[in-house]
Amino acid sequence: MNKYILYSIILLSILFSSCEKGAEFSSSPRENFEALWKILDENYCFFAYKNVDWNEVHERYSVQISDTMSQYSLFDKLAEMLAELKDGHTNLISSFDKSRYWAWYENYPRNFYTELQDNYIGTTYKIAGGMKYTRLANDSVGYVYYGSFSNGVGDNNLDYMFTYFKNCKGLIFDVRDNGGGVMSYSDRIASRFLTEKILTGYSQYKKGNGHNDFTEPNPLYLSPSDRIRWLKPVIVLTNRHSYSATNDFVNIMRLLPQVTIMGDRTGGGSGLPFSSELPIGWSVRFSACPMLDVNMQHTEFGIDPDVKVSLTNEDIAKGKDTIIDAAMARIMNPQDTVGVQ
Amino acid sequence: MKRTVWLIGGLIGVSLSLAAQREAPLSTNESTMIGIGGYNLQDTYLSPGININYTGLMMRVLNERMRVTCLADEHISRQQLVNVEFGSTHNGAETANIYAGFVDYDLGYHYRFTELPIDGLKLLTGLSTRISGGFLYNTRNSNNPVSGKADFDLNLSGMAIYNFCVAQLPLTFRYQMEVPFAGVLFSLNKGQPYYFISEGDTEGLIRVSSFHNKQVMRNYFTLDIPVGSFTVRMGYLNSMYRTNVNDIKTHVISNAFMIGIAKEFIAFGGKNLKDKSKYRSAYY
Repeated sequence: MNKYILYSIILLSILFSSCEKGAEFSSSPRENFEALWKILDENYCFFAYKNVDWNEVHERYSVQISDTMSQYSLFDKLAEMLAELKDGHTNLISSFDKSRYWAWYENYPRNFYTELQDNYIGTTYKIAGGMKYTRLANDSVGYVYYGSFSNGVGDNNLDYMFTYFKNCKGLIFDVRDNGGGVMSYSDRIASRFLTEKILTGYSQYKKGNGHNDFTEPNPLYLSPSDRIRWLKPVIVLTNRHSYSATNDFVNIMRLLPQVTIMGDRTGGGSGLPFSSELPIGWSVRFSACPMLDVNMQHTEFGIDPDVKVSLTNEDIAKGKDTIIDAAMARIMNPQDTVGVQ
Repeated sequence: MKRTVWLIGGLIGVSLSLAAQREAPLSTNESTMIGIGGYNLQDTYLSPGININYTGLMMRVLNERMRVTCLADEHISRQQLVNVEFGSTHNGAETANIYAGFVDYDLGYHYRFTELPIDGLKLLTGLSTRISGGFLYNTRNSNNPVSGKADFDLNLSGMAIYNFCVAQLPLTFRYQMEVPFAGVLFSLNKGQPYYFISEGDTEGLIRVSSFHNKQVMRNYFTLDIPVGSFTVRMGYLNSMYRTNVNDIKTHVISNAFMIGIAKEFIAFGGKNLKDKSKYRSAYY
C-alpha cells in the first residue's frame, strides 16, 4: 500500500509539472518576424485610419528576412517595418537599441528652445510637482511650463500655483516639448479650468483581432475640480513635440471658451500604447486604443492651434521667444475674464 | 440537492447530538505550512498577440483548519484554507519579469465515509467555496502593466485520508482534489487600458465562469510524521488555473513542496472559559 502511495505521488508530480503550451525563447529571425507582424496585425489600432496595407508590408519584408541574418540586422529590418506605421508610439526595444519614429516632430520647426525660455523665467522660478512657474510682464501674466506629463502634479501643487497667480490678468500654460506621460494628470489640470461637466471625447479599444474590430465609442466626460479653478484667459503654447497625453490635454483645453491654443500644430499621438514581446525577448510598444475628439475624429496627426505663431530667426537672434511674446501681448489686451473661484 | 440533504441531515444530527453523550469533545486539526516551488505563468493581456510563458520561483503560506461539525450526526467536517502566495518569474530570454501574488480563502464541507473496507482509510466528499484575488504585474509594460484577478468559485472537493504505520511510526497521508464548477470572476477586456475603466467603461468586467471558460484544479498531498512532541506535515501542492475570458488567455500553474507543523487542539472560549477546571491557562 505504501509503495502505491509513493508511486502515485511521483506519477502525479510528473503529470502536474508537464509543460504548458506557449512560446519559449527563440532567436529565429523568421519566427520573430512573424510574431511581430501578428502582434501588430491583431492589436494595432490605426491601420484603416492611416491606410496601411499590413499584408502588403508582410509580403515586402518577408523576403528580406533570412535565417542567417544577425540580431542587429534583424532588429534594423523589424524597426524599418514598424516605421511603415508612422507612429511615435511604436517602438521595438532590445538590450542594445530602441527603434523609434520621430518624424512627427523632427521634420518640423522646433519652436522651443530652453535657452530662449531662460531669458523669461531665469533661474528663480518656482517648482510645484512637475511644473515650473513664475510671473511675467510686471507680475501681470502667470507663466507655467509643464515639460512632461510623466512628472506628477498634485492638487496642492495646483492650488498654490493658482494662488500665486491670483492677481495676474491671464495665464500662459506652456506644454511645448512635452512628450506626454500620464493621462490622469491631463484630466487633473484641465479640470481646474472648467465651469461645468463637459464631453471631452470618446475612447475605443479593439475587441477582436480584425483591423476594424473596435468597441463602440465610449464618451469621456470631465467635471470641474472642487478646488481652486482658473477662469481668466489662458493661452496654451504648443509645438510639434507636444505629444500623446499632451495632445489629449490640448484636445480638452481647446474646448474651453477662455482658452486659446497658440504656437504650432501638436505632434498627435492619440492612441494609447500597449506593450507586448517577441520570442527573442525584445519588447514592442504600439498604439492600441484610439482616443477620439468630441466630433469622433482622430487626432493622431495632431491638433492645429487657434493662433499659429512660429519662432522667427530675428527673435531667436535677439534671444526672444516669439510665441511667449505673442501670448503675453494677447493677455495684456483685455479679454473676457471671470475671476478666480 | 445534495446540499439540501446535508442540511436536513444536519438539523437531525444537531438535535440527536444534544441528547447524546459525547465520548470526547470535537477537536480541530490545524496546520501552517510554507512552501517553495515554481510558477509557470501566461497572460495575453500582458503580452497581446503572442503566448509567452514566464517561469520562476514562488513561495506560499498555507493555513488549514479542519474539524468535525455537529451536522449529520457528526459525519460532516468543515475545512478552511487560507493561502497567500507570491512569485517572481521571467520570460525565456530573461529580458522581462512578471511578479504574481494571490490571496485566497476556501471554506468547504465534506461528508465523511469512515466505515470502509480498508482500515485507516477515510473518504470525504463535498462542496467548497473559494474567494481569491491577485495580480500579475509585468514591469516592462506601458498601459497594460497589470492583469488583476478576482474569483468566487463553487467547487467540488474530494479527499482521502489514510492512517498507517511504518516501523511502528504512525503516519497519515492525505490527498485532496478541488475543482470549481461555477462562479464569477473579474476579467479585463482584451486591449482595454485601466484608464478607460477609471473613466467608467466597465462593461463585461464581471463574468460567469464554469468549465467552458475556466479550468482550475488543485491537488494537495500531505504526509503527517510525528517527530518528538510535534507533528511535522510535509506536502505537495499543485495548482492549475486556466481561463479564457474576454479574449484574454491566462494560466497560472504552480507546484510547491510544503512543510509545516500540524496540531490537534480543542478550541473553546466565551462562556466555556468560566469552568476553569477544564483548563489551565497562561492568560485567563
